[in-house]
Amino acid sequence: MKHVMLTLLILLTGYQTTWGDDRPQRVVSINLCTDQLLLLLAEPEQITSISHLALEPNSSYMAAKAVQFPVNFAKAEELIDLKPDLIVAGLYTDRSLVSLLKKLGYRVEIFPLSSNIEDIRNNIRLMAKLVGHEAEGERLVSEMDQRLEQISRANPDHRPRGAFYQPNGYTSGRNTLQHSALLLAGWNNIADEEGVVGYGSIDLERLIQAQPDQLFTSSYAPGTQSRGQKMLHHPVLKKLTQGRAPIEIAYKYWICGGPMIADAVKMLHQSIPQ
Amino acid sequence: MIKVENNSQRLLIGLLVIVVVSLFITSLFIGSNPLPVLQAARESLLDTPTVIGLIFGEIRLPRALIALFTGATLGLCGAAMQGLLRNPLASPGLIGSSSGAALGAVAVLYFGLGVVMPLAVPLGGVAGALLATFMVYLMAGREAGTLTLILAGVAINALALALISLLLNLAPSPYAVREIVLWMMGSIANHSMTELWTLLPGVLLGWIMLFGTGRSLDALTLGEETASTMGISLARLRWRIFLAVALSVGSAVSITGSIGFIGLVVPHLLRPLVGYQPSRLLLSSALGGAALLLAADISTRLFPAGTDIKVGVLTSLVGAPFFLYLIIKSRRYQL
Repeated sequence: MKHVMLTLLILLTGYQTTWGDDRPQRVVSINLCTDQLLLLLAEPEQITSISHLALEPNSSYMAAKAVQFPVNFAKAEELIDLKPDLIVAGLYTDRSLVSLLKKLGYRVEIFPLSSNIEDIRNNIRLMAKLVGHEAEGERLVSEMDQRLEQISRANPDHRPRGAFYQPNGYTSGRNTLQHSALLLAGWNNIADEEGVVGYGSIDLERLIQAQPDQLFTSSYAPGTQSRGQKMLHHPVLKKLTQGRAPIEIAYKYWICGGPMIADAVKMLHQSIPQ
Repeated sequence: MIKVENNSQRLLIGLLVIVVVSLFITSLFIGSNPLPVLQAARESLLDTPTVIGLIFGEIRLPRALIALFTGATLGLCGAAMQGLLRNPLASPGLIGSSSGAALGAVAVLYFGLGVVMPLAVPLGGVAGALLATFMVYLMAGREAGTLTLILAGVAINALALALISLLLNLAPSPYAVREIVLWMMGSIANHSMTELWTLLPGVLLGWIMLFGTGRSLDALTLGEETASTMGISLARLRWRIFLAVALSVGSAVSITGSIGFIGLVVPHLLRPLVGYQPSRLLLSSALGGAALLLAADISTRLFPAGTDIKVGVLTSLVGAPFFLYLIIKSRRYQL
């Protein structure tokens, strides 16, 4: 009886007690990137729902693990039905939805975007703290750092020059994960040399004049057709780099910041021409 | 008398050729960075071309050639259709051939058939153009007045554009929806020699079929009955021109998207200069169309780098006021 009363009291006041397990037990993620961190760090019992995007194998690194959890479509009514004690969202999640959820008294935590490795460390630690698995968070961070360190140690003295070339002529300049990954893997980023900050377009003639040693692409939805994607098959791109086609590195390694960036850095490192 | 006329025709063609050639060469000089063009042209022929050779041979040359062939196609087809339908407002853009071609190409390209068979894209364009042109012709009837023809064209254009948007919304590629503008306005940027080779067979075949129709079109200016007494089979002529327009416009538009108003404006501007003779209008309209599209494409590159102006925006900015002027003029004369 006393137990029931206490539970009621907690439910009525919404008060977080230090009594028992104070880790959130019903975490709901409504963003692809918080999905990744949640699936990496939380106990399966803590995860109540993840976003439907987590099942998409091209963009979700954790897609295989994600299949065992119910998905949501980030609609206010379905979220309330899930009775979450913690909602995790990204910076660009629908703002009106976030403010509505906050107004209704739900705890909503917003994760910033990652544009470098330090941002990734911070986001891993933030999620680890929220779900009460700080030690696991530290383990992931140091494992990632070790892998990156190991790759960087094997980098050549003379850095080759590469660039990302995406559908519709987009590239990744400074302040992007692709830029950080290129540098860590031993490349110089041509887009940065050309003054591109963030994601921006680069003129094809300019790209050719910069004479990249290798081009990379990380297109969303590979295998589909459009004029923008067709630009990646322009014969000049191959001729420019001694017949090597642009190397495709899957989108899932950097659409969201996470320890999987080390996989992408490794692939970039391995593609350094001998 | 006839001799004088022939001389003035030679002069006109000569002038147009000079304009086209100089615009073509200018087009090769314009890009995001200045390039030593002559040196680049030489180096593009090497076994392993240099960087400037690659820019010349793989980017600037295909772009200028695609502008040349597409512009000429649109001008030539405009002249042929205006001659066949004896209607000053007939042109690939207005009577649905271009948007039909774009629809056909979209249906093939975005749903993966173009990967299996690259020639399927222009073939889709040809089929779409033929279907749209024929439907407008059926709706408007044989002796269609200007108004009926334009209305039928408006209807088919609207239908084709709606279907293009629908298909691009349904297409599996996440980039598809953004490309609606590209198909509606047309663009010749960022193409390679591969696209030129895809476009060329249909375009050239169409041209060959059209250039033989000059005498029949001349006879047709005297009326259908007179023309048939002169041994011209109108049904055969009609099919020949429809098929030729579908082949060349369909192939060109499947690569560039539909570029408006060239087929309307160019024959109009040149008609008085060729003595209102359809047979003479064909070659001069082809040259004029090439010149107009080359000029428009050069202009798109004069905007600051990064502003992606579609070439069709410029041709429409020139063409639409001209179209209005034609309507006002034809009202004044109660055509």
